[in-house]
Amino acid sequence: MVNEDGRRDAGDGAGRPLLQMQGIVKHFPGAKALDGVDLEVRPGEVHCLLGQNGAGKSTLIKVLAGAHRPDAGTLLWRGEPLRITSPVAALHAGVATMYQELDVVDGLTVAENVYLGHELAAGGFTRRRQAHARTAEVLRRLGHPDITPHREVGTLSAAGKQIVSMARALSHDARLIIMDEPSAVLDSGEVANLFRVVRELTASGVAVLYISHRLEEIRQIGDRITVLKDGRTVAAGLRVADTPTTELIRLMTGRAVDQVFPARTPVRPDADELLRVEGLGLRGAFSDVSFTVRAGEVVGLAGLVGSGRSEILETIYGARRATSGTVHVAGSRVRPGSVPAAVAAGVGLAPEERKSQGLLLDEPVYRNITLSTFARTARGAMLDERTERRVAREQIQALDLRPADPDRAARTLSGGNQQKAMLARWLVHGCRVLLLDEPTRGVDVGARAEIYGLVHALAEAGNAVVVVSSEIEEVLGLSHRVLVVADGRVLHSGPADQIDEHGVLDLVMEGSAA
Amino acid sequence: MSEQTPPTLATAGSVPPDPDRSTPLERREGGDTTGATSRRSRNPFHGAAGRNIGLVIALALLCAVGVATAGERFASIDNLMTILRLAAVIGVLSIGMTFVITGGGIDLSVGSVLGLASVWASTLATQTMARDAHWGVMVFTALAVGLACGLVNGVLIAYGRVVAFIATLAMMVAARGLAEIIANRQTQIVSVDAFLDVFRADVLGVSVLVWIFAAVAVAGWVLLNRTTFGRRTIAVGGNPEAARLAGIKVRRHTMYLYGLAGLTAGIAAIMMLARTTSGSSTHGMYYELDAIAAVVVGGTLLAGGRGTIVGTVLGVLIFTTLTNVFTQNNLSISAQSVAKGVIIVAAVLLQQRFAARSRSA
Amino acid sequence: MSAPTTPRRRWWLTAGSVLAGAVLVTGCTSNTPEPSATEGAVEQAPLASGSNDEPGDTVRIGFSAPAADHGWMGAITKAAIAEADRYEDVELVVAEATNDVNLQISQVEQFINDGVDAIVLLPFDGAALTEVATEAMEAGIPVINVDREFASPFAARTTILGDNYGMGVSAGTYVCEQLGDQPDAVVAEIAGIDSLPLTQDRSQGFADALADCGLEVSNRVAADFTVQGGQTAAANLLQAAPEIDALWNHDDDQGVGVLAAIEEAGRDEFFMVGGAGSANVMREIQSGDSVLQATVIYPSTQAADGIRLARLIAQDKAMGDLVEVEVPRQVQLFAPVVTSENVDRYLPTAFES
Repeated sequence: MVNEDGRRDAGDGAGRPLLQMQGIVKHFPGAKALDGVDLEVRPGEVHCLLGQNGAGKSTLIKVLAGAHRPDAGTLLWRGEPLRITSPVAALHAGVATMYQELDVVDGLTVAENVYLGHELAAGGFTRRRQAHARTAEVLRRLGHPDITPHREVGTLSAAGKQIVSMARALSHDARLIIMDEPSAVLDSGEVANLFRVVRELTASGVAVLYISHRLEEIRQIGDRITVLKDGRTVAAGLRVADTPTTELIRLMTGRAVDQVFPARTPVRPDADELLRVEGLGLRGAFSDVSFTVRAGEVVGLAGLVGSGRSEILETIYGARRATSGTVHVAGSRVRPGSVPAAVAAGVGLAPEERKSQGLLLDEPVYRNITLSTFARTARGAMLDERTERRVAREQIQALDLRPADPDRAARTLSGGNQQKAMLARWLVHGCRVLLLDEPTRGVDVGARAEIYGLVHALAEAGNAVVVVSSEIEEVLGLSHRVLVVADGRVLHSGPADQIDEHGVLDLVMEGSAA
Repeated sequence: MSEQTPPTLATAGSVPPDPDRSTPLERREGGDTTGATSRRSRNPFHGAAGRNIGLVIALALLCAVGVATAGERFASIDNLMTILRLAAVIGVLSIGMTFVITGGGIDLSVGSVLGLASVWASTLATQTMARDAHWGVMVFTALAVGLACGLVNGVLIAYGRVVAFIATLAMMVAARGLAEIIANRQTQIVSVDAFLDVFRADVLGVSVLVWIFAAVAVAGWVLLNRTTFGRRTIAVGGNPEAARLAGIKVRRHTMYLYGLAGLTAGIAAIMMLARTTSGSSTHGMYYELDAIAAVVVGGTLLAGGRGTIVGTVLGVLIFTTLTNVFTQNNLSISAQSVAKGVIIVAAVLLQQRFAARSRSA
Repeated sequence: MSAPTTPRRRWWLTAGSVLAGAVLVTGCTSNTPEPSATEGAVEQAPLASGSNDEPGDTVRIGFSAPAADHGWMGAITKAAIAEADRYEDVELVVAEATNDVNLQISQVEQFINDGVDAIVLLPFDGAALTEVATEAMEAGIPVINVDREFASPFAARTTILGDNYGMGVSAGTYVCEQLGDQPDAVVAEIAGIDSLPLTQDRSQGFADALADCGLEVSNRVAADFTVQGGQTAAANLLQAAPEIDALWNHDDDQGVGVLAAIEEAGRDEFFMVGGAGSANVMREIQSGDSVLQATVIYPSTQAADGIRLARLIAQDKAMGDLVEVEVPRQVQLFAPVVTSENVDRYLPTAFES
């Protein structure tokens, strides 16, 4: 490979780094999105960034693209300290980003999109002919002479739009191009073309930071890998050729910090069956899912992103209408496709995206806790806020929610305490079937043990708990029984202590490959 | 900390709760669990009350300008009543609008619905019936027309998934047109004396219209702040997905909100009938914009999730007083429109700064 | 719309010159009667013509009219303000109304609170303003109702009206004069907003006058008093009627659009009569090379006349040329036909659209 000085690199791609990030920290209210990220990208390499949803990849990209400013940490660009204060500054330095949500304007032409924000202009008039010529040149280079510069972008396929997005990055004369899941919208032929383009780019000394969930792609195109987890770098600069896929999965899904899972209390043999799911299916997501959960039992669903695990929970909860199968709670069938029916039957869901799906961030904690019960404590139509506050305060104490102030806005709580507020909502409601989707997502590592303890305490108190997590260790550590889900099917069901992480991974790999 | 679960827990859900359920949880309870910090949010200079104080100051300044420029002509009981009577109709519309906007929507049709309801309630047929039976026929007609239009909006938006802006824009145009058809573009004079006697009267020296505004405002305040309906409104506007997943019937509630806005348009139509002693398809022209302006200036978030009735009332009074002061000083409507625009922008800028501060707190 | 006026300032400017030339007869000698004593006995003798303009007690007159969304309406307010400026003893309080009756009602209420000496009111909607005008009358403030009539005779001291039926008659008579000898002549009509009573009156007058000479309207379309509406309506009419002898257009504002459509169609086989009497239409008539040969006036000086009458009523004066000692109950203005022969006489009071 050749770096920007034209000097031959050592065979493994070593050389003066293009980008060095050290100890990058980014706080958001209530959560630490980045907690010490290190990243080093060399000229002319394809550097892959791996991590689960919520590991901090998006935040890191936004820091690089100038959309977020880090709270701490250093950033060296070609050996010099650099502060990226705005998206324009990032482009100026030579960092171009292709976002996952294609950021093209459908109503404009290809050339207009490529030069959006840095139009070729003279005296206030756009120089269309020049823009068209250069756009055509870039598109030829990208192997798509079929996309003409004057075509309206809205008429292109997703793959075509991505080419336009890439052409825009190239029009900035970028030294580093960030590609956020570029293959997500492409079919295999288009992926091959993408890789060809990426190779051409790297051959000319441009570095690519490549983000993808598809591990086999990384194997094909990547040079080195950095793995993020919980906002930290858990492995930096691994050579793709030397790192087995199972090791990558372990790094992504395993514990970054040793977690002690509380000892499981065995389920009493005479415990009632609280939840029975039979032949449940949702077209396009999953099919034929059956399991039961007894009082005091924790059942875990293990699987990768997109396996259908969250959809299963949402369907049991009635937020999606099942296309087949039944759900029984404590022996009575629950009307499908109705959240109020499920809630009335005693089912509570703590959703994956707490902030966008669970909480009223600007409302006080107590109103979040009583969100599904305020109508019941009300006298007629009149709210009884005293009872609400009292009930909320009891749960705040029982769950040790901190700060113990029912009038505080939910926004100001940490991730772990927001999760407690969600659980409190269902406890106040008297729900006995609790569905927890990624209960520790966005929860600081230190606070997780507390959530784990809580899950067990809830089970011991006679509730039925279903946990979904992309962290296999978490599912295994928390649950009595585990269902392994891949590609919308349950591949395995059995006691959690009879299967280990590798066993689950093998099943998942098989199922996903099928 | 009590040893048993709260009573709501015991009665909650269809599943009988296990009495032991909360015991293991309580083992880990911490020490600092008193609500020591919870009083902080009730400081009057924080939150909604603080914003209202800002509005009161703005209103006081405006009055000071009025007194300084027009003296006793401004600072008289008669003039105060003039301001309140002018404020009453738009005020009632604004209360309904506060609910729609707090619930995350917008209603562009209330002005037109007011016009339609005023026309429908004053047709020859309605007035004949009112004269023969009871003046309540006119009241009922106006309320029913308003409510029906609002529910049509609500069904389209909640169940038809039409964007609120478009659905109510369509209603705005259609209701105005229907009003013109019914009235044949003519002004329909109200000649039911019983109706006029009731609504044009003064009670304790204050016009019935002002009393109606006051009653609607108080009812609106109670509804928004003290009832389950109000709580649902805030939840639906603040985070519809969270509200849905908490078991709130978001769509049905959205429909109710537009129905409520339509109902206030019907009430406003009755008031307009009394004030002008006529029904006309031109009644309420552009009132939706005045109402939205008053609501937003009052501090209700246009994005939904936070609403204040007191703020809305103050917003209406600020605009009405502004009009009054300008007329007192012989200044043109055009200059007044510029001033209104400045006030709206200033209020929204302040709101944003407030929102930024509360988020970083 | 015109800028806010400050009558008081001009008052001082003009006062000197007016006083210098004037003979101080009235004012000092008159018994300064109560401004509200409109119904009571008048001790003062009727004044000779001309002496009415001499300054009397200063009177405050409240004025309110709808928004100037039409050239004619704009001219109404301008003329009223200009008229008030001519009198040193008139202080005009202009409440520029919108087309919101609620707001206009509140403006009249403010006039009542103010205790103005008289109110000149061109209501957006006569019926809607009736009650508040009645309140003003009951409070002893004479209301001069302009153009759009109240629903009750008790709501105004004096009403000044244009003559819509008369406009139609004038236009029809003119057409008869031009085409009287052609019994099968094609006469077309472009009306304003059809559902308005004033439009119906104009058309009725036109039809009645035409019937007198054995003609009738063969093609009739309605527009909406706007330029664009006039253009559309005229284009459709010309399409429908390939051969026309005479065309009456109710309104000169929409006439701008009508003329544009005629130009576009390249038609000139007929003559056209306008309505309302805008200045540019009169200039068109003056030029003599247009299909537009005449227009019928609907005076835009009605509110100005309202100001004059309000002043007289408030000062307890009579109309100079009448023997009667009180200002009449109703004044209906004439709708003359303007042609190239007499256009010079009407152009100065015409309105700019």
